[in-house]
Amino acid sequence: MEFLNYLIILLAAWLVWKRPEREGLAFGLLLVSALIMAGLFLIGTHTSLFPRVNL
Amino acid sequence: MKGLSEARLRTVLATAIVVLTAGPVGTAVVLGVAYGESPCILCWAQRTSMALMALTGLFVLRFGPRPRYLGTLVLLGLWGIWMSLRHWSLHMARDVGQGFAAAYFGAHTYVWAGVVHFVVLAVLGKLLLVLREDSVESGVRPFGVVGGFAVGLFMLVVGANALQAFITTGPPPFMGQADPLRFSWNPSRWVWLADDELGGAITLRGSWNIPEPDPAFVEAPADPGAGPLAAVPTLSLSRWDSVAAPLPGRLTDLAFDPAGDRFLAVTDDHGVVVLGSGLATIRHEMRLDPHFSVELTPLAGAAFVGDTLVAMATNKSYALLRADPDADEDHEWRHFVETSGGVAEVGRSRLSTLRARQMYISSVAYDPDADEIVTVSVPSPHHPRMVISRFARSDLQLSSEFEVHVDAPLALAGPDRSAAEFVVTGAVVAEGTLYAVSAAYSTILAVDLTARRLVAAWAVPGLEQPVGLALKGDDWLVAQADGRVAVVSRPGRSPAPPP
Repeated sequence: MEFLNYLIILLAAWLVWKRPEREGLAFGLLLVSALIMAGLFLIGTHTSLFPRVNL
Repeated sequence: MKGLSEARLRTVLATAIVVLTAGPVGTAVVLGVAYGESPCILCWAQRTSMALMALTGLFVLRFGPRPRYLGTLVLLGLWGIWMSLRHWSLHMARDVGQGFAAAYFGAHTYVWAGVVHFVVLAVLGKLLLVLREDSVESGVRPFGVVGGFAVGLFMLVVGANALQAFITTGPPPFMGQADPLRFSWNPSRWVWLADDELGGAITLRGSWNIPEPDPAFVEAPADPGAGPLAAVPTLSLSRWDSVAAPLPGRLTDLAFDPAGDRFLAVTDDHGVVVLGSGLATIRHEMRLDPHFSVELTPLAGAAFVGDTLVAMATNKSYALLRADPDADEDHEWRHFVETSGGVAEVGRSRLSTLRARQMYISSVAYDPDADEIVTVSVPSPHHPRMVISRFARSDLQLSSEFEVHVDAPLALAGPDRSAAEFVVTGAVVAEGTLYAVSAAYSTILAVDLTARRLVAAWAVPGLEQPVGLALKGDDWLVAQADGRVAVVSRPGRSPAPPP
């Protein structure tokens, strides 16, 4: 999934660089990538969403 | 204020993007490929978040400081700091130098990622503070020299990250792992996992979700015949005594001091009472301020350590008290909500354990031979075990610790039973043996502290919510939450003289 996410980031950056008229699509890809990133982190911490220390 | 024009802002921003891309995001690839430091699933998320912040910076370079870009940066920064805290929490309690992979400049990469997110937020705030609003242009901007370099570098670094991600985590649905292998160009060394991180239930606190025990009430069967041990001999109660003096709260432990011919009682309302030998007269009485400096959950343990009184809370925080006719009432105001006077608090701190760090206690004892304080953990659904922890009196630091198991000559009543079914609520040490009363199954246990073994157990029918155990002569005094005290003769000892 991380591989896919970096491809999305790469595509978004390319659109910003070479196809600025597709800003909406590029920004949408950025948001999708952010959601994937956050989702993967939550998967990795789902057994204890809060920090695993004495709070 | 003169401020910063948008044109100047773009140069500063492009430089910041270069630093962010070449620094943490680019260096991470070098560490992975050249030094074999593969990121775990949490590291990947932190790194990706930094890449996304750099990408958002490119949006600002290209399209200007639009609110949705700035909002995205703020959210990424906050989320990145949270990720760093959560990731750091896996290792922050370890000993010095320990952690996941290597440390750089005194901290591990998952900590530095949080610093980076914090710095990005700080830089964003600074740039917005000095940006001249009248200089903001509209439309698509050219990247310029620095911006062009930034976007080119970004494409290169993100492409390298994509390659590393493919090799170490694989294509979808494979994802990052908790303990990834080092990087290799050899495909036969690649390990791709799709479900490494999917096991286990979704919880907020995980193994730290520990119910706090009520030191005056244990919800467990009292019938000693249903206990986890097989063929436990029975002891009969010799008689009942009671704490006749009124106590501030429910009784939660009782200790006896033969040298001073006095008792120490503690209550669940932070009451500490020194009683005469007849349990009827109060010599000193105070109620601790549980919120001063060190939080004290309800008191659950009482012990005499020489002339020092130990009042132990369920969270292993404690107060040390000493009779002092010259105790300054104004000074002690900070320690005591109420006091009859004549007692000073001489220390208040916390005991730290290893095996029992996620467990509460409901008892404390003093071992005069070893000069150690001893605690017994209370089992919980997440941590079903009985841990005995010993602390040197000299510095009150952990000196040894062990988990109690059942072996010969004792035997479990069944294959699914264990010593962790006992809930020890009172303890006392004599001649190197820890005697502990369990509110579950109304049983007194004997643990040889030298051999670290459970060596004997006795069922005591008739107990109701035992909360403390004291030793007076050859008798065990089993204190109950209602203030009654069951007197039980220690087996193998000469009969106690009539009262």
